[in-house]
Amino acid sequence: MLEEAGLVTTSISLVEEHARKIKPPRILSVPFNFGNTLGEVNNPSYQHEILAATFDLLDRSIGPVLELFETDKIERVILSRSEAMTGSDADKKDLLVELSDIKPNYEKWLETNKGRTAVGLSSIDAELFPAVLGFLKQYTAGEVADSGLRPQQFSIGHFVRYCVDDLKSYYLESRIAVKPDASMNDLYQWLWSDTSLGDLLGELAAVMDDSEDKEVKAIAYGIAR
Amino acid sequence: MPKLEILSEQQRTMLLNWPSPENEDSPWTPMSKSLSDCKVALVTTAGLHVRGDKPFTTAKNGGDASFRVIPRLTDPADIVQSHTSIGFDRTSIYKDINITFPIDRLNELVALGKIGSLSDYYYSFMGALRNPAGLIDEYGPEVAKNLIAEGVDVVLLIPT
Repeated sequence: MLEEAGLVTTSISLVEEHARKIKPPRILSVPFNFGNTLGEVNNPSYQHEILAATFDLLDRSIGPVLELFETDKIERVILSRSEAMTGSDADKKDLLVELSDIKPNYEKWLETNKGRTAVGLSSIDAELFPAVLGFLKQYTAGEVADSGLRPQQFSIGHFVRYCVDDLKSYYLESRIAVKPDASMNDLYQWLWSDTSLGDLLGELAAVMDDSEDKEVKAIAYGIAR
Repeated sequence: MPKLEILSEQQRTMLLNWPSPENEDSPWTPMSKSLSDCKVALVTTAGLHVRGDKPFTTAKNGGDASFRVIPRLTDPADIVQSHTSIGFDRTSIYKDINITFPIDRLNELVALGKIGSLSDYYYSFMGALRNPAGLIDEYGPEVAKNLIAEGVDVVLLIPT
């Protein structure tokens, strides 16, 4: 579309098989995990190397162009609760105690990242997350079907999803603040195996998957991943 | 993403069966000048939006094909991700927005003279669409029109 309109495009693909089918004008296929397009966080030199290879495709005179960015074997990120759980016997706390305990870590995250956070999709302030957790517990138990916290522009399914996304971000950012060298798999294993939030989200996903509401059922798939 | 052979069977099957469009050929606009004289725009499918803007949604008809405008000078603290796909790592963009939205890297390339200039507005779509009709028929052409109106020469397309 963009190229047809007269723009020159160059792009990166994370799935070589799809790029070969779609045939965009110029594409660099990279072997990184989804969510890691430019290879390595906080590594400007490496990111520039990948961008340079992408912009180099502009020099080709005939298209479509598909070139591969080769690197050493990449470890797969294991995201889902079902795969990441380790059967840990970690001493899990009450949800509200757990949330309270990690709050200083989240504040440390904000301080070290100039206030940047992925939290905010639900539009609920983090100070109200105890109430959000209360709602999610009751929703999971079938005790409530909605929340007074829900902004009117969000359906209940999307509100639940955004709350879950915010809590995942809050927990993971808090963990990174105190374990900055933890690998992606370490982080997800911690979330799903060692936290009460992980347990709640597993139960919530199952409840939503059983829903007769098609939107709620569709959203269930992402709750425990 | 990692080579298919190291993925789980479920992931491998899902990706191989993904309904991606299959094209016989490809449009082609040749470069008319050096990149160092070009205005470059960044377009991503990472499902990003400016804090306070409407998040991307789980749409019933194969995915949310709409786009969000992200002014180039937006503080990274005000860019959030509402991509609905569950199949990718989110922790990397927590740490470094440049991993899928290389705003600092592009600024550096301008400073080095590798790129002429940058557009005032960047755009985000959301990938993982099962039905790209809205993208092809409506939203893609709208973004193309905006980019051309701004005098953009080259578009850098980055997935997540």
